[in-house]
Parts: sequence; structure tokens; C-alpha cells
Amino acid sequence: MKTVFIATLTTLAAAAAFAQSTPIRIGVVTPLSGTYAGIGQQVRWGLDLAAREINAAGGVAGRQLELIYEDEEANPAVAVQKAEKLFQVSKVDFLTGTVNSGSTLAVGQVAERNGKLMATTVSFADSITGDKCSPNVFRVNARAGMQSAALADWMATTRPNANVFYLGPDYEMGRSTVAAFKSAAEGKGAKSAGEVFAPLDNKDYSPYFGQIRSSRPTVIYTSVAGNDTVRLFNQMAEFGVSRNVQVVGASGTVTSQNLAAIGRNADGFVTGVGYSPLIDSPENKRFVTAFEAANKALPDLYGTDSYGVLYLYKAAVEKARSTETDRVREAMRGMSWSTPQGVKTIRAGDHQAMQDMYAVRVNSGKFEIVGRVSAAAAIGPDACTRF
Amino acid sequence: MDWLQFVLAPQVINGLSIGVAVVLMALGLTIIFGLLDVINMAHGEFYALGAFVAVALIGMGLSFWLALLVTPVLLALVGYLSERTLVQRVFHSKDRHTLTLLLTFGLGVVMEDALKIVFGANPLRLEAPIQGATEMLGLFFPHYRLFVMLFGGAVIAAVWLLVFRTPLGAMVRAAAFDRHMTASLGVPVHKVYAATFAFGVALAALAGVLLAPMYSVFPTMGRDFVFIAFSVVIIGGMGSIKGAVLAGLVLTQVQSISSLWISPVWSDPLLFGIMVLVLVWRPQGLFGRLGHA
Amino acid sequence: MLESALARVAPASATGSRPNDALRWIAAVFFVSALAFGLIAWAVGDVFFLRLATEALIYGGLALSVDLLLGRTGLLPLGQALFFGLGAYVSALVLKHWDASFWLALGVAIGASALAGLLGGLIAIRSKGVYFALISFGLAQVVSKVIYNTRELGASDGLIGVPAAQVGGGLTSAVPLGFFLLVLTLIFIVWALLSLLMDTPFGRQLAAVRGNEQRLAFIGVDPWRVKLAVFVLAAMIAGASGALYPMLRGFVSPELMFFQVSGNAVINVIVGGTGTLIGPLLGSSLLTGLRSVVGSWTEHHHIAIGLLFVAVVIMAPRGLVGGLAPWLQARLDRRGAKDRI
Repeated sequence: MKTVFIATLTTLAAAAAFAQSTPIRIGVVTPLSGTYAGIGQQVRWGLDLAAREINAAGGVAGRQLELIYEDEEANPAVAVQKAEKLFQVSKVDFLTGTVNSGSTLAVGQVAERNGKLMATTVSFADSITGDKCSPNVFRVNARAGMQSAALADWMATTRPNANVFYLGPDYEMGRSTVAAFKSAAEGKGAKSAGEVFAPLDNKDYSPYFGQIRSSRPTVIYTSVAGNDTVRLFNQMAEFGVSRNVQVVGASGTVTSQNLAAIGRNADGFVTGVGYSPLIDSPENKRFVTAFEAANKALPDLYGTDSYGVLYLYKAAVEKARSTETDRVREAMRGMSWSTPQGVKTIRAGDHQAMQDMYAVRVNSGKFEIVGRVSAAAAIGPDACTRF
Repeated sequence: MDWLQFVLAPQVINGLSIGVAVVLMALGLTIIFGLLDVINMAHGEFYALGAFVAVALIGMGLSFWLALLVTPVLLALVGYLSERTLVQRVFHSKDRHTLTLLLTFGLGVVMEDALKIVFGANPLRLEAPIQGATEMLGLFFPHYRLFVMLFGGAVIAAVWLLVFRTPLGAMVRAAAFDRHMTASLGVPVHKVYAATFAFGVALAALAGVLLAPMYSVFPTMGRDFVFIAFSVVIIGGMGSIKGAVLAGLVLTQVQSISSLWISPVWSDPLLFGIMVLVLVWRPQGLFGRLGHA
Repeated sequence: MLESALARVAPASATGSRPNDALRWIAAVFFVSALAFGLIAWAVGDVFFLRLATEALIYGGLALSVDLLLGRTGLLPLGQALFFGLGAYVSALVLKHWDASFWLALGVAIGASALAGLLGGLIAIRSKGVYFALISFGLAQVVSKVIYNTRELGASDGLIGVPAAQVGGGLTSAVPLGFFLLVLTLIFIVWALLSLLMDTPFGRQLAAVRGNEQRLAFIGVDPWRVKLAVFVLAAMIAGASGALYPMLRGFVSPELMFFQVSGNAVINVIVGGTGTLIGPLLGSSLLTGLRSVVGSWTEHHHIAIGLLFVAVVIMAPRGLVGGLAPWLQARLDRRGAKDRI
């Protein structure tokens, strides 16, 4: 009887020890091919760096992290399929990496169905932690409303009562980004000089320049992104539209992916973002050095937020002392943790990370910091009613 | 008067520079179809390839002007090889239309992906070789755009002369009209076909290089652009050079001017609608030849 | 238009042989294997592969609709995703806002697709060849752009929160094996009906349109009506397949209407075997699985599939089944001849 007892005990102990040493698997569904591959690349770099550091320091609660990547091609239909594969076949404990909002929302449903948690580090549509919030979805990056708040604040300080012309891509996201900034800016005294929406993937913006010029704006706000930005900025320079006008825009307008193609024509552009490689803190300096050494490229906000999500997970799992979904969720709510951008806190009401926001200006390929808004001022109201 | 000067005139002028580029693309397409009976669905990707090759050449140190001359030649070679190795294989089946359509469609998919793999997905930059703009009568004329209009116009005129006023052009037209008779007259028809395909591809590549400084360079740049080129070719009449030129210039003007009144999102659907109407009224296009489906 | 190729696959019955034997045999193997696959997957407790297979069958339905147009009528549709996506959106809206009933959603989606097919057909049917292809492409572009911009339809994010569809007797679309079997049955029915249809006068008329439209008019049949009818039928099949998608995945997005879906369907048909009806189903199943597997290994999966497609078009334009069937037919004929002697 005693031998049976001891044998059982040792087996259990061995099993427990074994469980402790099996890796924690993190699924990453991110675009590795297609138009957004550049963003997916930064996400990957950020995650890999964080995983390496965490594993070298002993892992999460003694267990090593294992990242499993799947290509979602920035297509929600593919993302959903790959997410299910990761949950069902690869048995991951946690998922991250989705880039576009459609994918994040759809994969969030898959996460709910599988009883697991996911976090996005890129998608900035307000609805993800707003009216379409989910108890299994967390957001580590800043949402669109926070970005607008930072920019509107800077603009009100440096160019009070500005006359703003709005130019955006004619689709839902483009229009709502313009609308969000417009209300934030006009709440601080700006005036509207006009607005125009060009088709997505528009090649030639010169037809709109006459209208812009005749309205004599002091500021031009744009929410174009990717290739559209390259064309718009180069053509604005070509036609002299951006002379003596301050150009501002959404955080996705000028990023490390299209900065090279815009070149000097991006100089002077100001936007509101959650990160710049030039943030002057020892944490950030250390991070940037390590990132550059590993990847021969500077981190951008996608890489940095992806780096941060693994540390959030580590902190939550260690606090909850388990990888079990409900416990981790509880731990994540209200969790504060240290990131290259400073201390972030997850708001319990909507799973949105709160952080200080920056206004940055592009200058010779660098993102200089020209303004800062505190987390509390930038976060905006909690619009999530589901939990 | 103010409206005429500040609103309408700029639209017309911008329409012209876009129009010239569209005509160059459409010319390549219509020549390949008219003289070869092949529908080249990879035309947009050849356009993109032209732009990328130019970027690469300039990156290696060549000047823009040299790249402008060299790129179409290089792409012509690529086109020649594609025709000999790929298109010829499906050329002799009973209905080459569908098979070449599918083949070039697949080729386009492969080329677009190859571009992504080699050059990356992020957009690339090509600096305009002529900087600056002139302001005249309150209108802005960027010098590079003027150059595109003039150079493009010259190329179009040269093509027309080549096809209709030279013995070489006559040979090509003969080969299109009656392959066997032309072959029995001693003309190397296979080579003529491949050369014509190469020529059409070279025109697309030229358009790609010319437009690269104005619009950015990225792997999917061909896909949207080729749709308008196809519409122009269909409306103008497949195989008709006159049709491609006229339809190209007129339609880009229509798009440019109509964006003053209707939301620009509808300018592509508008073009599509015009294409459908023309097909209903005159299925062979405005100047097309009957018997070409 | 792939007449010469098709003549080798399904020779005219004037010779007295039964050309469909080989195809029916291949189809039997396909459906039985699919059934076996489903049962085995369920037995080992798998969910992912069952759902992936269901998705493959759904795209197979779309491929069937493309084959109906391309292989049987000689019209190349580059925008069939329009009806697929339309069916998906209608189904999602019905399930979310009206009633989570499988039959209702499917029915309304088929109705909507028929209507859309009628409208689209009236525009597209007048043309052939590349004109038809481009009009089909253009229609899909225009409609998908409209949906992309419509906030009420979720705009670029699409619609999430689509509930599982209730089929009846406790079966819902959330049950992996149950829904897989249901979709398999539906696809089987569609395939069987289409195969039977090809042997009717209408089916002959389709072949006549493909062969020589003018002659068809001379014998008193209006080719325009025939083409319109088949276009509407194809639209309904595509719409029905699309309706199943949100039931499986719980969401819809504008990407379902994009060119990639139409292009993939054409590739599935060509690789599987144009005009054979079972070939597209096979092609769809194989390539959906292949895309998923290859996609996990490398980011360059697009180009791999593209190269495969180009190789098939050049070297084996009859596709898998198109190449397999004549060989199989010859063997069956030999066996049949032996029996008769």
C-alpha cells in the first residue's frame, strides 16, 4: 500500500514537472505574403526578439515559449482557417499577429469558440474594443481614437484655429478616420476648409489639387495609406501643394514600409502614434539596439507592440500561475507592464491598452517626437458593453 | 471663366498625361491581339516588370534616360522568349482564345508573385529625372508630366508609322491577315509572331518606366491598370490601333472630367458601363474588325 | 472552346459507347472517399480537417458553377465570386437578423443569386470570349467595391457574429461531422442533377452553343436564351455554395467577392478537368488542401500554385480527370467488349 502511494506521488510529481517543462505555444496568424507582408515582417521580428529574451531569462513561469507562425495573407477567410488550425491541431495557448481589423474580428470569434485568448498588436479600428468587443480579445496597440487625440492636441497647441482640408481614401475606414480626427480637432477650435475622398488605389491626385489650393488651408489632413501615400505625397511635392502647408495624417499614412519610397517628400509630416524609435528612455534605447542588431532595421510601432504583447502574456500568466484561459483573462484585466513605450495598462472594461501617446514628425527618415499626451487623456470612453 | 481656367483646364491636362500612358498600354494589347489573335492577360505584369527593372537598373547606377531606353529592349527579349516557349505551345489548338487567356492569366499570377519575392512587397521610389514645374495662367505644369505627354505622343506616332508605313509593318500585317499565304511568300511567320508579342510587351514596359516616377512602383501595380487598358482596347476595337489611341485619349478625358461632378469612386464603374454599352451597340468596338471575337 | 480536348474526354455518343462510365466511376470513388474521410476524421476527434474539407466542398460548388459555364458552354467567367459572395452575405444577413434557419438562409440566397444572375446575365450574355470574361470580371469588381464601402454591411471589416444555422432535428452548422455530411450531400445532389442535365436536350443545346452558336440558331433554338438560362443556373449554384460559408465560419467579408476567389475557382476547374463536372470538385478539394498545407511551409505558396496552373495549361489542358478518364474509359470498354464476346 505504501509503495503504491509513493509510486503514485512520484508519478504525479514527475507529470507535474513534465507539464512545467513543456513549452507554452503561442500561435501567430499574420500576413507573411501579400501587400501587408512588410507589417507581418515587423510583427515577426518583434515577437521573435521578445521570445528569445524571455526564453533566455528562464521562460514564462519556468516554461519556454514556442512561436508557431501561419500566413493569413491579410484575408479574414484565410486567417480564420489558419487560426483554427493553430488552436485545434497545434494546440496553442494564445494567439496574436492579426493585422487588418476584419481578420482580428473574425479570428476573435474563433478564439471564443475554442475558449482561448488572443491579442492584436496592429489593428486600430475602434470597434475591436468598442461595439464589437469580445471577452477573448485584447488590444495592445493604440486605437484610432487615441491616435487622433494625440494629433489633435498637438495641432491645437502649435496651430490654433487651423483651417484644415481633409483628404481621405473613399472607403469606410478612410472616411471614419477622417471623421474621428475632424471631431477631435474641431472640438479644439479647428475649422474645416473642405473635404474630398479619392478612390482607394487612386493613382493620380492632381485632379484634387485645384480644389485644395483654392481653399487655402493651413493644414492638410489625410488618412491615405501604403502606396496611395507614396503617390499623394510625391504628387503634392510635384505640384507644390504642400509648400507652406502643414501636412498631418493618420498613423498608418507614413510608416517604415512606405517611407523609403516617399523619401524627402515626407519631411514635415506629423501624426499621432504610440511609438517612435527616438523615445528617450533606457528601456527603449536597449530595445532599439537589440532590435537593430538582430534585424538590421529599426523597429516601428508594429514591431514594438508585438514585442510588448509577449511580455504582457508573461506577466499575466505568472500572476495567474496558470495558462488557463479564465485565469489569464482575469490577470490581464487591469494589468500594467513595462514596454519600450513606457508603462502600459490594460483597461478592464474593454481590454484596450492605455499608454501615453506621441505626436511625431518625420524628418530625413526619422520620427522625431514633437508632442506627448498622457494615457488618461488619450484613451477616450469605454464603449464596450458586452462585459 | 474662373471655373474654366482653374477647374476644367487642369482636369483636361491631367487627363492627357494619364491618357498617353493608357494609350501606350492599350497599343501593346491591341497589337498583340490584332496581329496575333492572343489576349495577353499578363500585360499588366509586364508593365510592372518594366517599372521594376528600371528601378533596378537605376539602382545599379544607370541614368533614368539610359534605363528608359534599355528597359523596353530587355523586356522585349523577355516577351520574345515567353512567346516562343509558352504561348506557341497553346497557339495551335482549335480555340486559342480561351487557352491563351488562361495561360497568360496564369503567367500574370506567377509574375506578380515573382516580383513580390524578388523586390519585396513595399513600394519603391523612382525619382523623376526632370524636376520643377512651370506656372502659366494660374495652372501648374510639372515638367516631367509635359515630357511624358510629348515623349509618349512621339512613341505613339512612331508606332503608327511603323505598322502602316514600313515594309516591316506590312509583313506583320500580312502575317496577321493570312498566315499560310505569308509563310509561303517566305516570311518567317513564327519569328514575326514572337517579335510582335515582344514589341507589344516592350510598349507596356515603356509605359511602366514612364509612369514610375509619377505613380509608385509595387508588385500589384499592373493589375488595376490593365483593366482600364482592356476597356480601352475593347471600346476602341480589338486589333485597331486607331481605336486604341482615340478611345484611350477620349476615355481618360471622360474619367478626368466626370470626376468633377460624380464621386471619383464611380469613375471606374463608369468606364465599365461605357464598355458594356459599346459592346451592346457595336460588339466589335468602335473601329474593330468583324470576325474577331 | 476546349472542344478538341473535350471531344477526347467525352466522345459523342454516336459511336454507341457509354462515355460517362469513366466519369461516373471516378465520381463514385470521390464521394465514397469523402465520406470515409469524414467518418475517420470524426472518429479520431478532429475538428479542423473536417471543417477544412467542408470549406473545400463549398469552394467545389463554386468550381462546379464555373465548369458549367466554361466547360459546358464555353464561356470563361472571371467574376463568379460575385454570386458566391452575394450568397454568403445574404445568408449571413438572414441568419443574423431574420431567423437562424438553414433552409431559409439557403433559400433566400438562391433566390437572390437567381435575380442577380438574371441581371448580370442580361448584361454579359451578349458577348463571348474575352469580352464575356472582362464583363464578368468588371461586374464583380463593381459590386465588391460597393459592398466594401457600405457601412451597413460591415464595410471592409465584414460581418461577424453570424449564428450557427439550425438544420432540424438538433443538427446545426456548428456540428463538424454533421455539417460536413450535409454539405457533401448537397454537393452530391448538385453534381448528380448537373450530370443528368447534360444528357437532356438542354444539355445538348449547351454543347451546341459551345460548338457552333450560329448553327444552333438555324435549327430554331435561340442561343441567347440558352446562355442566359445557364448563366442564371450557374449563379444559383455559386450563390448556394456561398450561402454555406458563413454557416461554417460565422462571418463574411468583402474578400469573398474579390478576384482571388474567382481566379482560384478557375484554377481549380482547369487543374481538375474542365467539362467533366467531377474534375472541378476534385480539383477544388485537392487545391484547397494543398494551399493550406503549402501555405504553412512557405510564404511562396501563391507562386507554387501559379506555376502548377501554367504547367497544367501547357502540358495537360484536360486536367487531372480529363487525362484520367479516357484511359479509364478504354479499360472499361475493353472489359465490356470482353464480356460481350
